[in-house]
Amino acid sequence: MIEPLTDVVPSFFAVLNQGPLTLTIFLHTVIILPMFWIYKQEKAKLNK
Amino acid sequence: MANENVSVWTSIPFWRRSAAWVTGFAVILLIWLTFDTLGQITMGTDADLKNGVTKRVPGPTVINYHIDYKMSQKRGHEVPVIGEKQPFFGKEWSEQEAADLLHLGKLTSQAKNCMNCHTLLGNGAYFAPDLTKAWLDPAWQNGGPLQGMTGKNTVEEAMAEFLQHPSQYPTHARMMPDLGITADEAKGLVAFLKHMSSIDTNGFPRNFSKTVDQFKAGGTNAH
Repeated sequence: MIEPLTDVVPSFFAVLNQGPLTLTIFLHTVIILPMFWIYKQEKAKLNK
Repeated sequence: MANENVSVWTSIPFWRRSAAWVTGFAVILLIWLTFDTLGQITMGTDADLKNGVTKRVPGPTVINYHIDYKMSQKRGHEVPVIGEKQPFFGKEWSEQEAADLLHLGKLTSQAKNCMNCHTLLGNGAYFAPDLTKAWLDPAWQNGGPLQGMTGKNTVEEAMAEFLQHPSQYPTHARMMPDLGITADEAKGLVAFLKHMSSIDTNGFPRNFSKTVDQFKAGGTNAH
Protein backbone atom coordinates (compact mmCIF):
# COMPACT_ATOMS: atom_id res chain seq x y z
CA MET A 1 0.00 0.00 0.00
CA ILE A 2 2.87 2.40 0.78
CA GLU A 3 5.17 2.64 -2.23
CA PRO A 4 8.31 4.69 -2.95
CA LEU A 5 7.49 8.36 -3.45
CA THR A 6 6.79 9.25 -7.10
CA ASP A 7 5.72 12.86 -6.67
CA VAL A 8 7.93 15.65 -8.03
CA VAL A 9 7.87 17.75 -4.87
CA PRO A 10 7.90 15.56 -1.75
CA SER A 11 5.19 16.27 0.79
CA PHE A 12 3.19 14.56 3.51
CA PHE A 13 0.14 14.31 1.23
CA ALA A 14 2.25 12.87 -1.59
CA VAL A 15 3.21 9.99 0.72
CA LEU A 16 -0.40 9.52 1.85
CA ASN A 17 -1.84 9.70 -1.64
CA GLN A 18 0.09 6.81 -3.17
CA GLY A 19 -2.99 4.81 -4.08
CA PRO A 20 -6.70 5.37 -4.40
CA LEU A 21 -7.38 4.10 -0.87
CA THR A 22 -4.51 5.30 1.31
CA LEU A 23 -5.69 8.90 1.69
CA THR A 24 -9.33 7.82 2.10
CA ILE A 25 -8.50 5.33 4.82
CA PHE A 26 -6.32 7.84 6.64
CA LEU A 27 -8.93 10.60 6.57
CA HIS A 28 -11.72 8.26 7.65
CA THR A 29 -9.56 7.01 10.49
CA VAL A 30 -8.72 10.43 11.88
CA ILE A 31 -12.28 11.70 11.45
CA ILE A 32 -14.26 8.65 12.58
CA LEU A 33 -12.13 7.45 15.52
CA PRO A 34 -12.59 10.64 17.61
CA MET A 35 -16.34 10.30 16.98
CA PHE A 36 -16.30 6.98 18.88
CA TRP A 37 -14.70 8.83 21.75
CA ILE A 38 -17.38 11.57 21.57
CA TYR A 39 -20.05 8.83 21.46
CA LYS A 40 -18.71 7.14 24.58
CA GLN A 41 -18.45 10.42 26.48
CA GLU A 42 -22.02 11.37 25.60
CA LYS A 43 -23.26 7.88 26.54
CA ALA A 44 -21.59 8.14 29.94
CA LYS A 45 -23.07 11.62 30.45
CA LEU A 46 -26.60 10.42 29.57
CA ASN A 47 -26.26 7.42 31.88
CA LYS A 48 -25.54 9.72 34.76
CA MET B 1 -25.55 3.91 36.14
CA ALA B 2 -29.19 4.89 35.98
CA ASN B 3 -30.31 3.73 32.56
CA GLU B 4 -28.21 1.52 30.22
CA ASN B 5 -30.78 1.76 27.41
CA VAL B 6 -30.50 5.49 26.83
CA SER B 7 -29.86 6.35 23.14
CA VAL B 8 -26.94 8.60 22.16
CA TRP B 9 -28.28 8.89 18.59
CA THR B 10 -31.06 11.19 19.71
CA SER B 11 -28.71 13.29 21.83
CA ILE B 12 -28.28 16.82 20.45
CA PRO B 13 -24.86 17.41 22.14
CA PHE B 14 -23.46 14.26 20.45
CA TRP B 15 -24.38 15.51 16.96
CA ARG B 16 -23.25 19.03 17.78
CA ARG B 17 -19.82 17.86 18.97
CA SER B 18 -19.43 15.47 16.01
CA ALA B 19 -20.29 18.23 13.53
CA ALA B 20 -17.87 20.61 15.24
CA TRP B 21 -15.09 18.03 15.11
CA VAL B 22 -15.59 17.14 11.42
CA THR B 23 -15.93 20.81 10.36
CA GLY B 24 -12.94 21.88 12.45
CA PHE B 25 -10.76 19.08 11.12
CA ALA B 26 -11.76 19.84 7.51
CA VAL B 27 -10.90 23.54 8.01
CA ILE B 28 -7.44 22.70 9.33
CA LEU B 29 -6.90 20.16 6.53
CA LEU B 30 -7.89 22.65 3.81
CA ILE B 31 -5.59 25.35 5.21
CA TRP B 32 -2.76 22.80 5.35
CA LEU B 33 -3.45 21.67 1.77
CA THR B 34 -3.40 25.29 0.58
CA PHE B 35 0.14 25.77 1.87
CA ASP B 36 1.17 22.33 0.60
CA THR B 37 -0.08 23.32 -2.88
CA LEU B 38 1.87 26.60 -2.80
CA GLY B 39 5.05 24.56 -2.48
CA GLN B 40 4.04 22.39 -5.42
CA ILE B 41 3.23 25.23 -7.82
CA THR B 42 5.90 27.78 -6.90
CA MET B 43 8.08 28.59 -9.90
CA GLY B 44 11.68 27.40 -9.71
CA THR B 45 14.73 29.60 -10.23
CA ASP B 46 17.66 29.77 -12.61
CA ALA B 47 19.82 28.19 -9.87
CA ASP B 48 17.40 25.21 -9.69
CA LEU B 49 17.85 24.65 -13.42
CA LYS B 50 21.65 24.90 -13.20
CA ASN B 51 21.78 22.53 -10.22
CA GLY B 52 19.35 20.05 -11.73
CA VAL B 53 16.68 20.58 -9.05
CA THR B 54 13.37 19.27 -10.42
CA LYS B 55 10.43 21.62 -10.01
CA ARG B 56 6.91 21.21 -11.29
CA VAL B 57 7.09 24.72 -12.73
CA PRO B 58 10.67 25.53 -13.81
CA GLY B 59 12.04 29.07 -13.86
CA PRO B 60 11.73 31.30 -16.98
CA THR B 61 15.31 30.49 -18.10
CA VAL B 62 14.08 27.01 -19.01
CA ILE B 63 13.63 28.52 -22.49
CA ASN B 64 17.44 28.21 -22.84
CA TYR B 65 17.24 24.41 -22.59
CA HIS B 66 16.14 21.60 -24.84
CA ILE B 67 12.87 20.15 -23.55
CA ASP B 68 11.93 16.56 -24.19
CA TYR B 69 8.85 14.58 -23.22
CA LYS B 70 9.58 11.05 -22.09
CA MET B 71 7.57 8.15 -20.72
CA SER B 72 8.29 7.57 -17.05
CA GLN B 73 7.62 3.94 -16.15
CA LYS B 74 7.72 4.84 -12.48
CA ARG B 75 4.99 7.47 -12.75
CA GLY B 76 3.03 5.79 -15.55
CA HIS B 77 2.90 8.79 -17.89
CA GLU B 78 5.14 11.15 -19.87
CA VAL B 79 7.13 13.82 -18.05
CA PRO B 80 9.03 16.83 -19.40
CA VAL B 81 12.77 16.24 -19.36
CA ILE B 82 14.97 19.36 -19.36
CA GLY B 83 18.11 18.57 -21.33
CA GLU B 84 21.14 20.35 -22.71
CA LYS B 85 21.40 24.08 -23.41
CA GLN B 86 19.75 25.10 -26.68
CA PRO B 87 19.70 28.62 -28.16
CA PHE B 88 16.25 30.24 -28.21
CA PHE B 89 15.88 32.64 -31.17
CA GLY B 90 19.64 32.25 -31.65
CA LYS B 91 20.79 33.36 -28.19
CA GLU B 92 20.93 32.53 -24.52
CA TRP B 93 18.48 34.62 -22.48
CA SER B 94 19.50 36.06 -19.12
CA GLU B 95 17.29 35.57 -16.07
CA GLN B 96 15.78 39.06 -16.44
CA GLU B 97 15.36 38.85 -20.24
CA ALA B 98 13.70 35.44 -20.00
CA ALA B 99 11.33 36.63 -17.26
CA ASP B 100 10.40 39.73 -19.28
CA LEU B 101 9.83 37.72 -22.46
CA LEU B 102 7.67 35.22 -20.62
CA HIS B 103 5.69 38.04 -19.05
CA LEU B 104 5.11 39.62 -22.47
CA GLY B 105 3.98 36.22 -23.77
CA LYS B 106 1.56 35.74 -20.89
CA LEU B 107 0.07 39.22 -21.34
CA THR B 108 -0.25 38.64 -25.11
CA SER B 109 -1.96 35.29 -24.56
CA GLN B 110 -4.46 37.09 -22.34
CA ALA B 111 -4.86 40.12 -24.62
CA LYS B 112 -5.43 37.94 -27.70
CA ASN B 113 -7.69 35.62 -25.67
CA CYS B 114 -6.00 32.36 -26.79
CA MET B 115 -8.25 30.48 -24.36
CA ASN B 116 -11.30 31.50 -26.36
CA CYS B 117 -10.38 28.62 -28.73
CA HIS B 118 -7.35 26.82 -27.26
CA THR B 119 -6.76 24.99 -23.98
CA LEU B 120 -3.86 26.02 -21.74
CA LEU B 121 -3.09 23.75 -18.78
CA GLY B 122 -6.66 22.46 -18.77
CA ASN B 123 -8.26 25.92 -18.98
CA GLY B 124 -10.00 27.18 -22.08
CA ALA B 125 -11.78 25.72 -25.07
CA TYR B 126 -11.34 22.69 -27.30
CA PHE B 127 -12.28 24.47 -30.52
CA ALA B 128 -8.59 24.64 -31.50
CA PRO B 129 -5.64 22.38 -30.55
CA ASP B 130 -4.58 22.01 -26.92
CA LEU B 131 -1.52 24.25 -26.44
CA THR B 132 -0.28 22.80 -23.13
CA LYS B 133 2.41 20.73 -24.85
CA ALA B 134 2.31 22.47 -28.26
CA TRP B 135 6.06 23.16 -28.13
CA LEU B 136 6.71 19.40 -28.07
CA ASP B 137 4.32 18.64 -30.94
CA PRO B 138 6.27 16.54 -33.50
CA ALA B 139 4.62 18.53 -36.30
CA TRP B 140 6.60 21.62 -35.22
CA GLN B 141 9.94 19.76 -35.03
CA ASN B 142 12.48 19.46 -37.83
CA GLY B 143 10.86 17.50 -40.65
CA GLY B 144 7.37 18.05 -39.28
CA PRO B 145 4.65 19.45 -41.56
CA LEU B 146 3.95 22.59 -39.51
CA GLN B 147 7.60 23.65 -39.39
CA GLY B 148 7.94 22.76 -43.07
CA MET B 149 5.06 24.98 -44.20
CA THR B 150 6.65 28.10 -42.67
CA GLY B 151 10.03 27.53 -44.35
CA LYS B 152 11.89 28.10 -41.06
CA ASN B 153 14.61 25.92 -39.51
CA THR B 154 13.79 26.02 -35.80
CA VAL B 155 10.67 25.37 -33.78
CA GLU B 156 10.64 28.88 -32.30
CA GLU B 157 11.05 30.67 -35.63
CA ALA B 158 8.42 28.49 -37.28
CA MET B 159 5.92 29.10 -34.46
CA ALA B 160 6.64 32.85 -34.41
CA GLU B 161 6.17 33.08 -38.18
CA PHE B 162 2.88 31.18 -37.98
CA LEU B 163 1.59 33.33 -35.09
CA GLN B 164 2.19 36.53 -37.07
CA HIS B 165 0.42 35.24 -40.20
CA PRO B 166 -1.85 32.41 -39.02
CA SER B 167 -4.47 32.84 -41.72
CA GLN B 168 -1.87 32.21 -44.46
CA TYR B 169 -1.13 28.67 -43.34
CA PRO B 170 -3.46 25.69 -43.64
CA THR B 171 -3.10 24.01 -40.25
CA HIS B 172 -6.39 22.82 -38.94
CA ALA B 173 -9.90 22.26 -40.24
CA ARG B 174 -10.78 25.43 -38.30
CA MET B 175 -7.99 27.80 -39.35
CA MET B 176 -6.63 30.36 -36.93
CA PRO B 177 -7.61 33.98 -37.70
CA ASP B 178 -5.04 36.77 -38.01
CA LEU B 179 -4.92 38.44 -34.57
CA GLY B 180 -2.43 41.18 -35.44
CA ILE B 181 0.33 39.64 -33.32
CA THR B 182 3.59 41.60 -33.68
CA ALA B 183 7.06 40.03 -34.05
CA ASP B 184 7.94 40.76 -30.38
CA GLU B 185 4.61 39.45 -29.13
CA ALA B 186 5.08 36.29 -31.21
CA LYS B 187 8.48 35.74 -29.59
CA GLY B 188 6.92 36.17 -26.18
CA LEU B 189 4.12 33.74 -27.02
CA VAL B 190 6.58 31.10 -28.21
CA ALA B 191 8.60 31.53 -24.97
CA PHE B 192 5.31 31.21 -23.05
CA LEU B 193 4.49 27.98 -24.93
CA LYS B 194 8.00 26.56 -24.45
CA HIS B 195 7.89 27.29 -20.72
CA MET B 196 4.41 25.76 -20.44
CA SER B 197 5.58 22.56 -22.11
CA SER B 198 8.25 22.19 -19.42
CA ILE B 199 5.65 22.20 -16.62
CA ASP B 200 5.05 18.81 -15.07
CA THR B 201 1.30 18.32 -15.52
CA ASN B 202 1.13 14.67 -14.39
CA GLY B 203 0.88 13.55 -18.01
CA PHE B 204 -1.89 15.97 -19.08
CA PRO B 205 -3.02 16.05 -21.84
CA ARG B 206 -3.18 12.29 -22.33
CA ASN B 207 -2.34 10.44 -25.55
CA PHE B 208 0.36 12.81 -26.73
CA SER B 209 2.30 11.39 -29.71
CA LYS B 210 5.14 9.15 -28.63
CA THR B 211 7.35 9.69 -31.71
CA VAL B 212 7.50 11.60 -34.99
CA ASP B 213 6.98 8.28 -36.82
CA GLN B 214 3.84 7.62 -34.84
CA PHE B 215 2.60 11.09 -35.65
CA LYS B 216 3.28 10.61 -39.36
CA ALA B 217 1.46 7.30 -39.27
CA GLY B 218 -1.57 9.17 -37.94
CA GLY B 219 -0.98 8.16 -34.35
CA THR B 220 -2.62 9.77 -31.37
CA ASN B 221 -1.70 13.37 -30.78
CA ALA B 222 -2.91 15.78 -28.16
CA HIS B 223 -5.23 17.62 -30.52
